[in-house]
Amino acid sequence: MLTDSGFWFVQLLNSLQLSMLLFLLSVGLTVIFGLMNFVNLAHGSLYALGALFGYSVAQATGNMWLAFLIAPICVMAVGALIYVLIIDRMRKAGPMKQVLVTFGLIFVFLDAQRYFWGTDQLGVTSGIPFAGSFELFGEIYPSYRLFIICVGLLVFAALYLLLEHTRLGAEVRAGVDDPETASCLGVNVERTFFVVFLIGSALAGLAGVVALPAFSAEAGMGVSILVPTLVVVVVGGLGSLKGAFAGSLLIGTTLTFGQVLFPSFASMLMYALLVAVLLIRPSGLFPARG
Amino acid sequence: MRNLINFRSLLAALTLGALLISWLNAGYFGMEILAEIAILALLAMSLDLLAGYTGLVSLGHAALFGCGAYAFAVFTAFWGWPPSLSMAAATLLTGLIALIVGSVVTRVQGIFFIMITLAIGEMGYELVFKTRALGGDDGLAGIPRLDLSVIGVDLNDPGVFALFLILLVVVCYLLLKRLLGSPYGAILIGLHDNAGRMRALGLPVQRYQTSIFAFSGAIAGFAGTLSAQHTMFISPQLLHWTTSGEVLVMGILGGLGTLIGPVIGAALITLLRHELSDLTDYWGLWLGLFLILVVMGGKNGVVGWLETGWNLIARRSGDRKSSDRSANDAAG
Amino acid sequence: MRTRVKLGVAVAAGLLLAGGQAMAKEYKVGVLLPFSGVYAGLGSHIENGFKLGLEHYGADLGENSVTMVRSDTEAKPAASLAKAKKMVLQDKVDVLMGVVSSAVLGGMRDFVHNSGTPLIVANAGNDHMTGEKCSPNIIRVSFSNSQINRPVGTWLANQGVKSAYLMAPDYAAGHQMMEAFKSTFTAAGGKIVGEAYPPLQGTKDYGPYITAAKAAQPDAIYTFFAGGAAITFVKQYHDFGVKKDIPLYGAGFLTSAAYVHVQGEAADGTVAALHYVPAIDTPENKKFQDAYQAAHGKTGSEFAVAGYDAAHLIVQAIKQADGDEEAFKAALSKVQFNGPRGPLRIDPATNNVVQNIYVFKNEFKDGKVVQTILDTIPDVQDAPNGCSM
Repeated sequence: MLTDSGFWFVQLLNSLQLSMLLFLLSVGLTVIFGLMNFVNLAHGSLYALGALFGYSVAQATGNMWLAFLIAPICVMAVGALIYVLIIDRMRKAGPMKQVLVTFGLIFVFLDAQRYFWGTDQLGVTSGIPFAGSFELFGEIYPSYRLFIICVGLLVFAALYLLLEHTRLGAEVRAGVDDPETASCLGVNVERTFFVVFLIGSALAGLAGVVALPAFSAEAGMGVSILVPTLVVVVVGGLGSLKGAFAGSLLIGTTLTFGQVLFPSFASMLMYALLVAVLLIRPSGLFPARG
Repeated sequence: MRNLINFRSLLAALTLGALLISWLNAGYFGMEILAEIAILALLAMSLDLLAGYTGLVSLGHAALFGCGAYAFAVFTAFWGWPPSLSMAAATLLTGLIALIVGSVVTRVQGIFFIMITLAIGEMGYELVFKTRALGGDDGLAGIPRLDLSVIGVDLNDPGVFALFLILLVVVCYLLLKRLLGSPYGAILIGLHDNAGRMRALGLPVQRYQTSIFAFSGAIAGFAGTLSAQHTMFISPQLLHWTTSGEVLVMGILGGLGTLIGPVIGAALITLLRHELSDLTDYWGLWLGLFLILVVMGGKNGVVGWLETGWNLIARRSGDRKSSDRSANDAAG
Repeated sequence: MRTRVKLGVAVAAGLLLAGGQAMAKEYKVGVLLPFSGVYAGLGSHIENGFKLGLEHYGADLGENSVTMVRSDTEAKPAASLAKAKKMVLQDKVDVLMGVVSSAVLGGMRDFVHNSGTPLIVANAGNDHMTGEKCSPNIIRVSFSNSQINRPVGTWLANQGVKSAYLMAPDYAAGHQMMEAFKSTFTAAGGKIVGEAYPPLQGTKDYGPYITAAKAAQPDAIYTFFAGGAAITFVKQYHDFGVKKDIPLYGAGFLTSAAYVHVQGEAADGTVAALHYVPAIDTPENKKFQDAYQAAHGKTGSEFAVAGYDAAHLIVQAIKQADGDEEAFKAALSKVQFNGPRGPLRIDPATNNVVQNIYVFKNEFKDGKVVQTILDTIPDVQDAPNGCSM
């Protein structure tokens, strides 16, 4: 089996799929970090909210496309609420306290999700686009996985264009490089923070709703995804789009092939990789600042 | 400043008083809670050395706690060593492991330090979880308690055991206070305030950080041996990063960098948990809101609040007051 | 309610003094279940089932009555032990009920064993707890890991399946289930062509494992997954289109009534075995399912049945004991009755439940998953496995 090229091809697609899912999850987190210098630990909770909102929309309308659209918007609204009620008021308190507040939010979101969506596993069974599978080089592969890969690549491209070719992007880049100079040059840093936080939240929500048809949704799913997301962000280097992309690919590939080649160590691989990367490059692969 | 330090000593005395009064009035379950509080207080104090005083926020601290517990279990239950020797050996072993880990992890800073400690801690967790010989995820039972019957003390009595643990908390508190008051302690606090300047002064920063990581790890391991004796059963849960997170929350609620704050935090969280979980299944929500409010309050946890109140009273009574500096930057 | 009960006790005490009749007793049940954390869903199913069981069977207790105290165990062994101690030593409960996680059960095993207060286990399936670590005080009404999987090995081999690939999460229960299957499957001439144990936590993608299993070309794949992992696995197995070549079998938690509707079409064709399936056609099961559906708007799962039968068991023991504490304890492990899952008794040698195992098939028809029983393996009983009471 290990000499069968079809086998490795499918595993390659598997690793790409996992990488893109990780990318969708981590990119919002890393962009927020790059600009605002704090880690939003509630990011995983927003991911869970994306899946849960997506479930509710799909149940109500039977249309998964609508869920893809509405769920991120709902999560963005929740993100706005967090920003206005908490993050904005904590701006002067320093990054550590902002991190701690988002740690408290994890508990709040977890129970709020249990309250509204119950404790049973939820899932969408009908109206899923690309539900079938296709054949490529004699191997059967689920179409939806290819869809996830495409969404990841599209989001990467869109964010790249946004950062490099729009005024907002220029403001964000300026803010990441040197916040003080940027605000002296008339960049509305406050507004940029807010917009970036919203985009980051919406991306977490998008990751949740895109993952929904392939997995199941339940309150608590955000907690278990938090650590892998943080690992990706840190390995890639904080605050950079390129870093999130590279980190996702590295972790996704390592996990997939590690599971195949060294199954007994699968659970430790991700952590070992993180330690190795940090010892060689103490600020990750592609940090946004120096 | 002097006023504040005196106030903290007063606070420590009051906390001890409260623990002793509850010990006198505690029923059976109360003794269990007191023992739990005492063990977590030890662990939270050891984390305060790192996170509060030295500025090294570790999410792998629970792994060292678990390391002490598992080492104690192996020494006593598998190898038949006497509990006293096992406690010392497990504490030393954990300190040694912390020394090795510390020399590696102190090479990175800030969020990277948090993540690398989390990663190494999780590797320890996974290792124990998978190791059948250590009971795997089913855990390990049949762990004995320290035998002090030669001096007429029966630690199998829950009340005596709780008092014994409270005593250990007092000893540890005094020891750490002494350490932090020494020149070594001053350097640690200097590392927290400005590691760069200390490095410029020619100080071997990483060596100091490694030493405190090892020392703090040894205390965590010691707390682990007590935890194993308390429940007489251990499971990989002890090592999980969420346990580190909970202990960190205790420190934050109580006030990091105050030494007594983490003790108060441990008591507060343990009590809240038990009381709230009897009232509602959504106790996490209230705990989270409480944490958010405390952090948003801008003071350094409960100790910060109390100090502010104390200062107000002191000022009203006409005393000249120094500014509350330590409270603001401890968690910053 | 409570005051009325107390009044009842007082009246009964008066009667006792007057006429010397059997004493009425208020039985306190300590419910130890996860109401928060990863197992919160199972906790609520078991509690719902338990309450329904008390409603159905506890009505005619005469002078005796049952009250509940409940505690959240999460999935934390140390915290659970503290709560078990509180219930026994402070609340003075007569019997404990619950325990989802095997680690939690391991944590309280010694305490329960020495305390003299019986514990009715309503989930945790660790073989050792009714094997080498069995205790007269630990009575399991749910299942043991090997009890479910042992009969399936033989059954599957008899269906002409010659080789199998095994897959389960990498933790004690996963390994116990696979070992049990393996022992009978190979004894009946089957061959294991490969095994994989993905990490319990943090496996998001089973694609690599499924691809590897497919490459091993077994006649069948036999698995144990539960909860979110079961949903994800079944969906992904379906998506990879492997099922028509390599049919999917598993311990019944794979397509549990608790979430098979979430798997939908992906569950189609999957064959699994468990001690309970909602499709069982008996009056007891109909009564249970109708009432559960009415009260909670969903199908009662095997977890709910465990709670329901635990209540039934306690009530039966109360009736037999007639107010005598020792007689109550002794009766707990001697009770037998027909529950929703069929005939059920406690094995005096191990205190594990003796019950039928049902092999059932999932079919997706008209937008719904329909489960039909293919075979019933009656009276499955564990060997003592080193248990001596």
